[in-house]
Parts: sequence; structure tokens; C-alpha cells
Amino acid sequence: MKKLSVLAAGLGLCALAIAADADRVSVVDPYVRLAPPNAMATGAFMVIRNAGERDVRVVRASNPASRITELHTHLHENGVMKMRPVPAIDIKAGGEAVLKPGGLHVMLIDLKAPLQEGGRLPITLEFADGSSLRVEAPVVRPTAGGMPMNRP
Amino acid sequence: MSDKLLSAVAVLLAALIAGLGLFWHPEAPARPLPVPALPAGGDFTLQSAGGPVALADFRGKVVLLDFGYTYCPDICPTALAATAEAIEQLEPDERARFAALFVSVDPQRDTPARLREYTAFFHPAIVGVTGSAEQVADVARRYGAFYARQPADTAGGYVVDHSADLYVVDRDGRVVDKLAHGTPPVRIASALRRAMTTP
Repeated sequence: MKKLSVLAAGLGLCALAIAADADRVSVVDPYVRLAPPNAMATGAFMVIRNAGERDVRVVRASNPASRITELHTHLHENGVMKMRPVPAIDIKAGGEAVLKPGGLHVMLIDLKAPLQEGGRLPITLEFADGSSLRVEAPVVRPTAGGMPMNRP
Repeated sequence: MSDKLLSAVAVLLAALIAGLGLFWHPEAPARPLPVPALPAGGDFTLQSAGGPVALADFRGKVVLLDFGYTYCPDICPTALAATAEAIEQLEPDERARFAALFVSVDPQRDTPARLREYTAFFHPAIVGVTGSAEQVADVARRYGAFYARQPADTAGGYVVDHSADLYVVDRDGRVVDKLAHGTPPVRIASALRRAMTTP
């Protein structure tokens, strides 16, 4: 009996030690902006939270609707908006990364077919340790505010 | 000696204070908000899907002018969505005295036909226009809109750095307001109304 509990504790420790990045991360309020007709690209936004005690890093994103998915950010310099690809999005231990219009975003480039308003798009975030997390992002019309008014 | 110096300093200070009291009249500025420097602007003619569009065509109307490009996935949709929401806040008679132009600074990728589809998605009242690289550069320069094509390591091939202000042009074709990116639609609408009612 005692041996068993030691074994269980050992297994628990192992599980903690090998917990993947994706297991400690949660995604809040994901959405994809409905792209205007013939637009080549659109953005996906969300808040990525890291409840773990280790920093995590999103190194890649993918989705079935666009041929290419990149991680981008916007730099605001003297009123000029500069969109730039970024190699990764870092989320500190206990912190969050806010992907929102005018800042960090998942860029969907070369859409295979127009997105449908009200539809849902699965987006997979891939972390530095190779683990991944799938997020269902509703497709919403662009609004002036960062967050869509008609949140599902 | 040092007493004399002290009294001289005292007299000087008293004179300074009296002078300030007499000649300095600090008043609350008539407009508490800082007025941004407005560009010269001026007339231009560019191409829309429906033919040439001149700013002078809208004399007598207030024009909201926006610079951008359709490949822009984020800043331009936000600006155009704000424009559309502001238009929706205008009364029908106000809308009749108003026009919105979206000037593409990426004529290489944005044809007038493509621009029409793009702007109509946001609001049918927004007219998309563009021209030759030289024409677009001239208009942007006169309105103080900045843009620069940048090579970037993106599958899109290149990105366009750009300013994202909205310009309000009054009924006589003069720039009367510049609204920073992120200005809420309700404030865009009030800036348009102000331009419509200012004599």
C-alpha cells in the first residue's frame, strides 16, 4: 500500500515535470475578422494566458482556411503603423499575450475561400516544446472597437 | 552695501510682479483640445471603379478622407469600420451632405474594381480611389499622409507602412480636421457635423 502511494506520487511528479506548454495555456475570446471580398489576408485575435510557472512561446500557428499563417505585430512610430512578422509570441509565466487589432495578431494570408460570417475557424497554436492547442475562433465582421460588439 | 543690493533685487522683483500683473492675462483657451497642425490638402482627381473622381466634385459636401490599402488586414479595416459606424450615426439629411473617400496608396495591387468591392464591404457610401504611383504620392504628400513600401519577410511579399489619420475636408475643399487612428465613431460623426454646420 505504501509502495503504491510512493509510486503514485512519483508518477504525479513525472506528470508535472513533463506537462506540455499547451496544457498550461488557455485562450480567451478568440475571433477572426471577416475579410472583405477578395481580400488576400485577415487577422485573428485572442488573449493567450499562461497559468504555468514557465514562460511559453508560440512559435507557429496554422488554420485550414488560408494557405499561409504568420505571426505579426504592429509597431506604432510617430503615427505610422508598421506591420511586421514576428518569429514568436512570448507569454511569461503567469502572464498573458493580448492579440488585438493594432497589435499582435495571427495573420491569415492567401485565403482559400471567403470566410463566412458567423462561421467558426479552428486555429492551432504550436508551442516551442512541440505541443499544440486548438482554438475555435468565431468569424465576425470588423468593428471600430477592438472587441466585436456581438460577442457570441 | 549688501543692503543696497538686496533692496535693488527687491525693487526689480516687485517691478516684475507688477509687470506680470499688468500685462499677463492668462485665459482659458477657447478650444481646450490641442489643434493638430493641418495639412494644406487641396484638389485632386483619382480613379474609381465608376470613373474619375475629383475632390472638387464634392464641393458643398463634407468629405472624410482615408488613406490605406486593401492588403492591410488590420489597421485599414478598423479605420473603415469606424468610418462606417460614424456614417450610420449621421441622420439621412446629414448623409446627403457628406462623402467618404478611401485612397489606396498601393496602386500596384489595388485596382479600382478591387477597391470598390473592398470599400462596399464596409459601407456603400465609401468610394475607393487610386491612381498612378506619382498621383497617389502627390495627394498623400499634400495631405501629410505617410506611406512607404517595405520589404518584409512575409508571404505577402511586402508591407506598406502608413499613417492612419482621417482627414475632414469642409464644403469649400479645405482640410479642417485630422482624426487620429482609433478615434471612436461617435467623435468622427461629431467632427463631420461640426464641419457641416460651421459657416
